[in-house]
Amino acid sequence: MTLSQQLLEILACPQCKGVVVTDEQHRQIICKACRLAYPIRDDIPVMLIDEAVRL
Amino acid sequence: MTREFKNKVREQFGRAADGYIHDKGFATGDDLEMMVRLLQPMPDDNMLDVACGGGHTALRFSPLVRSVVASDLTMVMLKKAQEYISEEGGVDNITFREADAEDLPFPAGAFTLLTCRVAPHHFPDVARALSEFHRVLRRGGRIAIVDTVLPNDPEIAEWYQAMEKMRDPTHIQAYTETAWREMVQEAGFILHETVVIPKTHDFPTWAKRAGLNRDGMAKLNKFFVDAPDKVQDYFQIETFAGEVEAYTDRKLLIHASRPPKK
Repeated sequence: MTLSQQLLEILACPQCKGVVVTDEQHRQIICKACRLAYPIRDDIPVMLIDEAVRL
Repeated sequence: MTREFKNKVREQFGRAADGYIHDKGFATGDDLEMMVRLLQPMPDDNMLDVACGGGHTALRFSPLVRSVVASDLTMVMLKKAQEYISEEGGVDNITFREADAEDLPFPAGAFTLLTCRVAPHHFPDVARALSEFHRVLRRGGRIAIVDTVLPNDPEIAEWYQAMEKMRDPTHIQAYTETAWREMVQEAGFILHETVVIPKTHDFPTWAKRAGLNRDGMAKLNKFFVDAPDKVQDYFQIETFAGEVEAYTDRKLLIHASRPPKK
């Protein structure tokens, strides 16, 4: 596993602090428990509850 | 953090981002070197730098640790920090996340080292941020926080708060050394030491960095010139022909750690 992959693992949902998964196709990070999608802008994950899109 | 305040912070730092990136006081500084000395970063440390601003703390620590995650509430700031760090070159272990210090997007115990430099005075709920720092830090993990210390004298403290709010509308509250010691221990950290470090600001550079216009600068200059004697003494305000040239505030460095597993 590369360092960048490992760093992506150091990420959690800011709302429930649970596991998130990367949706490469739509360039977003998803929390299935909260049903929220966090956008990735210019390679930077926007991990803000207010900016997340409800799924 | 309310959405309205968050937007205010983004607007302020989006506008002022360049000034922060190229500010010598942030890029170097006694407080930054003291942080390195006290935290003793190790090659296997995974570090989080909260409210990374121009990325100077992340950049200073990056060669000394395994990885650095740099987070900030302002995307413009993060992009500028990313640009600055790639221009500096030779660094490939820093990643950026847009995040709120009071709702950190990291699992419990994810980091062994945490820094937060000259930022908590922008946080509406410092206790909540400290509880988040505690959560994301592994047991035994080390933390260093630096922020401007609120003077103990109530009159000087009141002047300081009013002055900071005049310069920067996103300034919320600075705390005394006693208040910091209490907050850090209440959050569950073992407090190792606090160090007070004087910092002299070139007034025009410092005032402009916050994005003040000519009127704002003039108003702030007058506020300094009209300050009571004990304020002038405390901040060592230096003026020439009615213009403020420099002043010195005091940064507080708090060195603590999360208690190790019993």
